[in-house]
Amino acid sequence: MTWIIKNEKPKIGVFSLTGCAGDQLMILNLEDTLIELLAKFDIKSFQEASSYSENTKLDIAFIEGSVSTDHDLKILKNIRENSSLLVAIGDCAINGCVQAMRNNQTSIAERMLDVYGVKDNVYNALEPKGVGEYVKVDAEIPGCPIEKEEVFNAFISLLNGDMPLIPDYPVCVECKLNGYPCVIIEESKPCLGPIITAGCDARCPGLGLDCIGCRGAIRGETNAKAELETLRKRGYNDKYIINRLRFFAGNFEDIKNLGVREASKGERDE
Amino acid sequence: MSKTLTIEELTRVEGHGGITIIIEGETVKDVKMNIFEGPRFFESIIKTVYYDKIPDIMRRICAICTASHSLASIRAIEHAFNIDVSDQTQILRDLLIHGETIESHALHVFMLALPDYLGYPDALKMASDHLDKVKAALELKKAGNLIHNTISGREVHGMNERVGGFSRIPSERKLENIREEMLKVKAAAELGVELLARKEPQLNFNSKNIFMALNPGEKYGFIGDEILISDGSRHNINDYLNIVKERVVNYSTSKISTYKNHPFMVGALARLILNKNKLEGTAKTMFKKYQQLIREDNPLSNNIAQAIELVHSVERAEFLVNELLSRGVRDEHLPSVKVKEARGVGAVEAPRGILYHDYTFDKSGCVIKCNVITPTAQNIANMEKHYREIVEALIKEEENMIKRHLELVARAYDPCISCSTHIIRVKR
Ligand code: SF4
Ligand code: SF4
Repeated sequence: MTWIIKNEKPKIGVFSLTGCAGDQLMILNLEDTLIELLAKFDIKSFQEASSYSENTKLDIAFIEGSVSTDHDLKILKNIRENSSLLVAIGDCAINGCVQAMRNNQTSIAERMLDVYGVKDNVYNALEPKGVGEYVKVDAEIPGCPIEKEEVFNAFISLLNGDMPLIPDYPVCVECKLNGYPCVIIEESKPCLGPIITAGCDARCPGLGLDCIGCRGAIRGETNAKAELETLRKRGYNDKYIINRLRFFAGNFEDIKNLGVREASKGERDE
Repeated sequence: MSKTLTIEELTRVEGHGGITIIIEGETVKDVKMNIFEGPRFFESIIKTVYYDKIPDIMRRICAICTASHSLASIRAIEHAFNIDVSDQTQILRDLLIHGETIESHALHVFMLALPDYLGYPDALKMASDHLDKVKAALELKKAGNLIHNTISGREVHGMNERVGGFSRIPSERKLENIREEMLKVKAAAELGVELLARKEPQLNFNSKNIFMALNPGEKYGFIGDEILISDGSRHNINDYLNIVKERVVNYSTSKISTYKNHPFMVGALARLILNKNKLEGTAKTMFKKYQQLIREDNPLSNNIAQAIELVHSVERAEFLVNELLSRGVRDEHLPSVKVKEARGVGAVEAPRGILYHDYTFDKSGCVIKCNVITPTAQNIANMEKHYREIVEALIKEEENMIKRHLELVARAYDPCISCSTHIIRVKR
């Protein structure tokens, strides 16, 4: 897919809604190329959404963070209106990330009570969602956080009028390419690799760990039921598995439907 | 007549934050640090999660302090289930936290504080005249990231550090790389101190600060189980709820903390004041040389305190690698864990100050109650105190001048680095 570049130096903004700012940080972590890379763009904002208030038209807006308050939503809509392309960076902006893991399980009022000891939603919090729930998204760069090579390539693609290329196959493929032993088969670990978007070079299995799904489930390709079945066979109970599946997929239809409130009381049979 | 002075978006404090000051005539009526970062309710959503993956979720509270969160979380779990770790694990954890400090302080000292001091609006503008300094910062940051990557598995939100130890022990060759890198960036770290030292903070503050830091043991470091307070008292971290009193305010999504009803300060300056006798090597020399610049009542001194810690962490990382190599690294199995009904508290000195994690578990090893107190939340009351002092001192000056100084103070606290790094600041 391509897009039409209007300016030789595309006007860009990097914005942040509710998250940990890890994706901006990964961009800054491109230490070796950072200064040269950023010089190819006309940067209108690199963070705080409100510095956007003068309503500069942008060629590309990169957004990290989830929509978690009505303030986030207002900012998001403003950015969308004023940008030709909107690129969601990181799992917060795509799927709502870990802060969405209890969506449909506990209400905002319950969470308020738990953390702040009051029921009133004084902060106008919303159930955390990815930006795609509210506005059109033109491209997504997955990960919690994004991989820096991937975001570098995405910047270069966009500069050339191409859309970023993101893997549509699971982490398992990278595990095989690296020759790592499967941690499900060899060690009965509850790995989510089979349903999670590749691109991290199978970091966790490479360290002998099970994937917890930080790059998000592969859209349209995910068979959550089959994953549930696989892990059941390895001795994990439903509560444990569903809890686990929700870490990064509280908003993911397939997974949302697997677990209701009761199932989240996640005890593990020992 | 009352007027309101507002800084809408300051430097973000773990997200978005601002300052509101209400002035009546020539008196300051009210000072508020507003934080309107969307709440993520970590202490609530984590409930029912089995212990082994708690650190993986909780570390996502913050990107720049991800290892601090994961280690505070891991230590809380280990305390709950009485798990001891090997010496090798302790050294590797120390190394990891020094790496995080290097990365975080490099960003703050060079990209955030220095442009203020050298009279530039941001680091990018500074780069046009002082490319060498921006490059030095990036080299340091990269060195910190190398440690992070090697020990934890990724620069942000790694996975290799676990309850009981590490999943994979880094190879000797990779550790040697770290050593080489530390030797390379030593000069850059020292440059940070020298540059800041040339510009003495010009503001004066009258109130005394109460400082809190963890007791790191024999060496100047970032992990410990005892809280040191500048009033001379010491407390086990299990007592933290009696020391740090939190309350909820409606103008901010962060809670406000006090100690015996007084604001207090955590972070590099607090650590340096309370643990200065433990400094060694170049950091000690530099501390001695610039001691008169480090003023206990001046929050701006936090900048140079960070710069000195940066020098210390680079040297310490090199030392720790040597220590590991001379012992010979060994593969270790993670210990088996017996879960039980229990509670555990863990604390770590994150780059910005003490960070507490506190969990209560049911008998199956799932968390049923959780409390986290971040350093930024602890500092807010002290920041408000200092904003008030600034405005009172400058009350006859024009508004923009007051605002500039408020920002200077806010930034010295380094509220949240990934957010407040003004690499690029847009003109309004
Ligand atoms: S996706 Fe992960 S790294 Fe990015 S902002 Fe959210 S929590 Fe942080
Ligand atoms: S293996 Fe899974 S959890 Fe680990 S980095 Fe890759 S996607 Fe994230």
